[in-house]
Amino acid sequence: MAHAFRKNSGWSQYAAVLVISVAMMLADSRTSWLDRPRNVLSVMLSPIQWLASVPSTIGRYFTSTLTAEPDLQIAYDNLRNEYFKLKSESLLLRTLEKENQDLRALLTASDRLKEKITLAELMDVNLDRDNHRVSVGRGIRDGVYVGQAVIDDQGVIGQVTEVMPLSSIIVLITDPGHALPVQIERNGLRTVVHGTGSVSLLKVLFLNQNSDILRGDVLTSSGMGGRFPNGYPVAVVTGVKVIEDEAFIRVTAEPIAKLDRSNHVLLLSRHVQTQGEKRVEQLILGDD
Amino acid sequence: MPSSNNSSSGSLAFVVFVSAFVALVLTMVQLPGWLFYFWPDWIAIVVAYWALVAPKRVGPFVGFIIGTLLEVLFVRKFGVMGFGLATLAFIVNSTNQQLRALFIWQQMVSIGLFIGFFKLLTGWLAGMVAGFTITTEYWYSLLGTVVIWPFAFILLEELRRAVRIR
Repeated sequence: MAHAFRKNSGWSQYAAVLVISVAMMLADSRTSWLDRPRNVLSVMLSPIQWLASVPSTIGRYFTSTLTAEPDLQIAYDNLRNEYFKLKSESLLLRTLEKENQDLRALLTASDRLKEKITLAELMDVNLDRDNHRVSVGRGIRDGVYVGQAVIDDQGVIGQVTEVMPLSSIIVLITDPGHALPVQIERNGLRTVVHGTGSVSLLKVLFLNQNSDILRGDVLTSSGMGGRFPNGYPVAVVTGVKVIEDEAFIRVTAEPIAKLDRSNHVLLLSRHVQTQGEKRVEQLILGDD
Repeated sequence: MPSSNNSSSGSLAFVVFVSAFVALVLTMVQLPGWLFYFWPDWIAIVVAYWALVAPKRVGPFVGFIIGTLLEVLFVRKFGVMGFGLATLAFIVNSTNQQLRALFIWQQMVSIGLFIGFFKLLTGWLAGMVAGFTITTEYWYSLLGTVVIWPFAFILLEELRRAVRIR
């Protein structure tokens, strides 16, 4: 009797829980009703999150305190040198940009889109095998929008997938569900890199046996699909394996951006008007 | 036989959530590349263990609660993990007498099958609601899970003995 009761209660409990989960899945994928409970819960669970990050924080604390002062001095000097070098290069760049614009005007090509850059600080990092997400301290208030491309000082990091009032969530290019259109810098061959779930590994799928791709090739964003502006470095090809009987070659690549090390990221926004757009608008409005 | 007085069930809940928390920390640990894919599914191990040793008190509902907390912490779509862990807890609950009678290697294989089913289910559901794709590497962790099961079992058994939960 007791046995049967237990079994029954197990079944009814299970059925109830399944109904609730399916309802939650539907609600969460079709509506935004569960966003508020999620935010409330995540605030309530933030102590757990903090506790869970303690081991890695302690590790980082020890590495940073054990860094000797001379090293800091060297690091400072290096940064200073780099700063002046970049400063001088950017001066050169401005003239080049002007020249390029003039040349494009001569060729009657469209202006290259210019991106507005917002600096954001990382608040939280969630890297588990199936999900690579980081959250940053910029949100709706700072004009962040879904689909915005995110880079660091070296290359592409990912894109914004969720925007909250004061923070937003970025999916990294190494997330298993993420794919990014790229171009080989050397010859312009266009392809797509897929995330794998490992922070140091990307895969380039569906390249034919005769594709011209070599180890060491730099992949830059191609601008296809309209999410990522073109020309930002994404990854370096680390391995090309040709297997006779397979239709496609196996290409692996490593991200250039410091996905698991950078503390600051840059959000690129494309909502800035270019001169061409301004001109068109002027013509439409008729006040030329 | 059912010794579910208040203090015992209270401390059971506490121990279950402490072990779930440890599993959570283990899930979030940064790993060297070769270990990465084989890193076990700690949460599934913990839920399977408690569903095995305390089937009367740890069932689908507890699995669902842990899954939902996990979804909040890892910012995933709601419902998937809850569904998966509830199913895992339910399967282990209903086979717990058979499981306990098995040799350790037979237990490893059965738990491997159950957690494999759990991974298939959650991967499939995540594919429906969040566009997740099941890759070959997705299954590697199952091997780690099966290998680590006896050790995790012994450790959790010690923990349970230490807080005197029957």
